[in-house]
Amino acid sequence: MEPDIKWLDDPETFRVGMMPAHSDHQFYRSTDEINNDHSSYVQSLNGQWQFAFAKDPMHRIKNFYAADFDSDNFDEIQVPQHIEFADYDDFHYINTMYPWEGKIYRRPAYALDQSDPEAGQFSEAPDNPVGQYIKKFQLASNFKDQKVRVRFDGVEKAMYVWLNGHFLGYAEDSFTPSEFDLTPYLQDGENRLAVEVFKLSTAAWLEDQDMFRFFGIFRDVSLIAQPEAHIEDLSIKPTLSDDLKDGTLNVTTKMTVNKSGATAKVSVADADGKELYADSQPVNDAITVKDLSLKHVHLYDNHQPYLYQLTIEIDDKDGNILEIVPYKFGFRKIEINQDKVIMLNGKRLVINGVNRHEWDCHSGRVVSVDDMKADIRTFKKNNINAVRTCHYPDHTLWYHLCDINGIYVMAENNLESHGTWQKLGAVEPSYNVPGSVPQWKAAVVDRARNNYELLKNHASIIFWSLGNESYAGDDIQAMEEFYKSVDSTRLVHYEGVVQNRKYEDKISDVESRMYASPDEIKDYLDHDPKKPFLLCEYMHDMGNSLGGMKSYIDLIDRYPMYAGGFIWDFIDQAIEVNDEVTGQKVLRYGGDFDDRMSDYEFSGDGLMFADRTEKPAMQEVKYYYGQHN
Amino acid sequence: MDNTTKQLHIIYGDGGIGVGGDDFHYIFNYTRGGIESMVINGREWMYREPKPTFWRATTDNDRGNGFSKQAVQWYGANMFASADKVDIKINDQLIDFPSAPRNNQYSNHEYADQVAIIYHYATLTTPSTDVEVSYTVTADGVMSVHVHYTGNDQLPDLPVFGMRFVLPTAATGYEYAGLSGETYPDRMAGGIPGEYRIDGLPVTNYMVPQDCGVHMKTDWLTITRNATKVSSDHSDTPFSIKFEKDGQPFAFSCLPYTAGELENATHQEELPLPRRTVVSILGAVRGVGGIDSWGRDVEAQYHIPAGKDIDFGFKIRKV
Repeated sequence: MEPDIKWLDDPETFRVGMMPAHSDHQFYRSTDEINNDHSSYVQSLNGQWQFAFAKDPMHRIKNFYAADFDSDNFDEIQVPQHIEFADYDDFHYINTMYPWEGKIYRRPAYALDQSDPEAGQFSEAPDNPVGQYIKKFQLASNFKDQKVRVRFDGVEKAMYVWLNGHFLGYAEDSFTPSEFDLTPYLQDGENRLAVEVFKLSTAAWLEDQDMFRFFGIFRDVSLIAQPEAHIEDLSIKPTLSDDLKDGTLNVTTKMTVNKSGATAKVSVADADGKELYADSQPVNDAITVKDLSLKHVHLYDNHQPYLYQLTIEIDDKDGNILEIVPYKFGFRKIEINQDKVIMLNGKRLVINGVNRHEWDCHSGRVVSVDDMKADIRTFKKNNINAVRTCHYPDHTLWYHLCDINGIYVMAENNLESHGTWQKLGAVEPSYNVPGSVPQWKAAVVDRARNNYELLKNHASIIFWSLGNESYAGDDIQAMEEFYKSVDSTRLVHYEGVVQNRKYEDKISDVESRMYASPDEIKDYLDHDPKKPFLLCEYMHDMGNSLGGMKSYIDLIDRYPMYAGGFIWDFIDQAIEVNDEVTGQKVLRYGGDFDDRMSDYEFSGDGLMFADRTEKPAMQEVKYYYGQHN
Repeated sequence: MDNTTKQLHIIYGDGGIGVGGDDFHYIFNYTRGGIESMVINGREWMYREPKPTFWRATTDNDRGNGFSKQAVQWYGANMFASADKVDIKINDQLIDFPSAPRNNQYSNHEYADQVAIIYHYATLTTPSTDVEVSYTVTADGVMSVHVHYTGNDQLPDLPVFGMRFVLPTAATGYEYAGLSGETYPDRMAGGIPGEYRIDGLPVTNYMVPQDCGVHMKTDWLTITRNATKVSSDHSDTPFSIKFEKDGQPFAFSCLPYTAGELENATHQEELPLPRRTVVSILGAVRGVGGIDSWGRDVEAQYHIPAGKDIDFGFKIRKV
């Protein structure tokens, strides 16, 4: 297959040559590796890469990916890092409007006119910078003769990938992993991985999140070797009996098996390590645990995030370990009862939640393990029991931390297109995408699948969220249908359907609003409500705010169908720079970089300042979130 | 004759009235609208005369819901407040205003148990309303401040109402008995009652500087400085003053900046170098709101309606 720059313009081309999305399980060669949390099947490619920047597609180096291309005069860039933080492109913050507002007239392909593909909209655009990356690497010695893939955990917003001059594929969906099989083109000695990243593509219409607009490789890049018998995808389905006493465990896998005769040892242990189940089975199409009955299971919730341990060890026919896959899972039941109350393990669910963007004032959405751990500590300290991953999937470690710490997760898709239907505060969906535009449907369903397949085993996730502020139409309905077709154990959430009630019986298990006043919530709940109610965003903590929270907390006692909400939001998005006058470290926001049009300080809505210190309002959150905890 | 009964010594000046005791001396200016000098143990506490304060630096929510536009009259009233009339009471008796030459009847040996100076302000609003601030000094040097705002329902809701004191140098810190953290009427449930010490004069690090640092339900506030502006004074020995409740608890903020200075900055680093201490003792505080930041009003019970009288008081004493 030959790459085509015109894919940038085509909403129907969003993944080419990529391996299918799969669960986020790790696999190791030994228990020592598990204990050290280091898999020798993984070779990190993070670090210094060669780099060339072009201000637009027309000025890019056309043959930079060639095996014999002389890249000696390339610059160097840190991976992962937003290209803007390396000073090639410029910081720009804007909320609803697209970043090209006032500069370039654009309408989404096919949105206004089914026959207009808007050819060249991004592939020939003067505002579409390009990052060309080259990484030369030697394969780790223990990767020899194995299948090897490259995994990008996050790249904004469109990427073409080559190995040793051979085209591997193309990816969008910036916040879920993209994997490409390197095996056919690997060579002895030095290999050359070439990655071409574009800031804009049709994905930009779908990724209009209210945040600084970055591009580049911003999460880890890894080479992953694949054992001869390998669990490609793991699906764990723990369910509970009606009386919530006993559990049933179903496990299945998708396998890649190159060598026959392998055996899988499957075990389940409780949190104390006591083995509850052990089985051995030959490795064929799938490793399965079918309807394993576990009596008197511990339930998983915020206070007791009890996790069981599933371990699958695959041995070759001589008994050598090929891989060990550990995964923690929990038993919990989320449902809407006959009174339209959201119940978790038979008890009413009260969401004491926050929205959390990934943010570090030194590196943008490149967040560290320490950042994530600090955020979890802040949650626990302040009685925050739930997080909405606004408005994209986070670093996968975040979900594991939520599992372990009992933080309920609303796992949101990478989707926000408010600029296509919110115009100067009015609902004006004339060119909304995805809407019901057929050419945009597959892309958004793919985003739903990526989110689901990656994260489906996390005990902490109790809601899937279809995205944010994207209006509603057939395409988002198709996302809903996808989730319903694969997962009966969680609820599906989407707020945007309240803007287009025609779809309210087809989209979202809950009535979700943002910034509804206490009186508006009462009005809904007093008038024969169809669905339980939650606030996916409330208490807009911009600057000195968060007054009047009592009126929301009071609703909890009054209305069982009120499930609480997620405060907007967790942390200010500002960037630390050295002040040009004093040299002191200061925090800067939209408009401070001559970035126009901008929404300026509107990204400063956190319970935390951008430097991860708490705002004074946090004590109020701690108090009120401690009331129904 | 010595002041053996520890009465107040009164100086009936031409430009103001002085009131003194063993370790304090206060001067109330007749034309500048308040206390020009408040010396305790030889150290000056006033930079400029305290005035009623009507404005808080626009918060993000105030901007979003248009409150600052609605209330803009109070911005001018805050900036340019001046008293147009002064009354004096000696031992609780109103006297004929002792202007020159009427004050020639006095001497350097005038004493009383209690002196009250009452400043009458007409707010620079349309329509105007009255604010009366009285300072009552007793022989122990304690100053009781009483503030009265006369309601006028033709005026917009007030952003805040209180007295603003500007002290000559930046405080090294303050202590208070009240609620933890920064609290407002609609955000104080999480405040834990106790006694707190704050080092320096922290300004809350909001991305855009705005009203901040309010502490509700306070019983007392002690402010400590270690420098004066006296050229020969090189001491850095700490010295303090105490504001305490007189009846109801008060709210306060203690910052290095006025509302006007905060209002003008778009970033923290644009604020001036801290040089002074701005103490606002507040009788009424508007809530901050939080439903959203682009239109929703603060809940009605946390407004300061202009039509209702506001009356509060507090005491200032040496430590």
